[in-house]
Amino acid sequence: MDDVIAGSYVFTGERSAKSYHINKMAKTLGSAVTRAQFQADEAGYMRAIGCSDEEIELVRQRDWKALMEYGASIYLLLRIGAAVGHTLPQIGLHTSGKGH
Amino acid sequence: MATLVGGIGTSHAPTIGVAWDKGQQKEPLWAPLFEGYVPARQWMTDVKPDLLLIVYNDHVNQFFFDAYPTFALGVGAVHAQADEGWGKRPLPDLPGDPDFAWHLARSLIEDEFDPTICQEMSVDHGILSFLPLLTDTNWTIPVVPLAVNVIQHPIPTARRLFRLGTALRRAIESYPKDKRIVVFGTGGLTHQLHGAGFGRHNEAWDNEFMDRLETDPAGLSELSIQEYMERGGTEGVEMIMWLAMRGALGGTVKRVHRNYTAPLTTGYGLLVLET
Repeated sequence: MDDVIAGSYVFTGERSAKSYHINKMAKTLGSAVTRAQFQADEAGYMRAIGCSDEEIELVRQRDWKALMEYGASIYLLLRIGAAVGHTLPQIGLHTSGKGH
Repeated sequence: MATLVGGIGTSHAPTIGVAWDKGQQKEPLWAPLFEGYVPARQWMTDVKPDLLLIVYNDHVNQFFFDAYPTFALGVGAVHAQADEGWGKRPLPDLPGDPDFAWHLARSLIEDEFDPTICQEMSVDHGILSFLPLLTDTNWTIPVVPLAVNVIQHPIPTARRLFRLGTALRRAIESYPKDKRIVVFGTGGLTHQLHGAGFGRHNEAWDNEFMDRLETDPAGLSELSIQEYMERGGTEGVEMIMWLAMRGALGGTVKRVHRNYTAPLTTGYGLLVLET
């Protein structure tokens, strides 16, 4: 479906499976307590949930475009964004290749 | 006997909740949206519903991909507010209606729709962004939420949502208690939140969709998910949930109110219909 919906990533089962741990990590950020834990030690928090070094590095770089290409759900990137102070316009624009 | 008194189609978005909480209702950017809800709120006051049946989608706040339900029905007495990452908004939890919700579960399953039955189901901006625009926020009207997967593909077809609407109608008409029920379909309209098309929306298609929702819902229900995404964006595919509301209303409908505005990245539609 990716090929026919120009310029977007349809969140298919394949993407969901590949990005499972990064999405799972983002899903846990739905409380002030977990957000504080994540903010205190992003890499350690992600590793404990099963994220790979590559996934940890993509988040460290705030590389939203690469994270979309990797397969993450936009809704869960927004959840990570909320924890690190990046907004929807920033993240969306970055995934378009026009942001920084 | 329960009565279906009408249907509302409405967009939902976190930004609506943020603008509401900040009191930006009269600011130039937001006034066309918020003022558009005033006649709908008046209609709600006039028809005095005592139950809202809301077909919506969760945004990976309640559910996760470990077990993602295609349809999920909230049968609890209370629906808590999900923390979507920014902390909870200053709103009380929503009251539910377990008696009607369990009746709906039985009726839907009899009708070959099989929702996951949830005794605890938190709700997110899919409901809470627009509801304060339509009712008092002390939530005097109970809500029965019916969540649809429109996020992880494969997602149900537009036709499936339209047929779900007819099943909702049968459930309402077979409920023995006197209840005045409004059915909601919420989501969309067009928006694209990521990728090269970020920020793209399609006002012509949004308005065609609202036209045809009144006059040609069966035709809309024959469009593929692919076509909805091509016209309205991968996230805009949420708009298929309006077809459940329309399916519940049946044949000919009377339009009470319609509004459309697109101040940012999303086409915000609002449609109030009566049978």
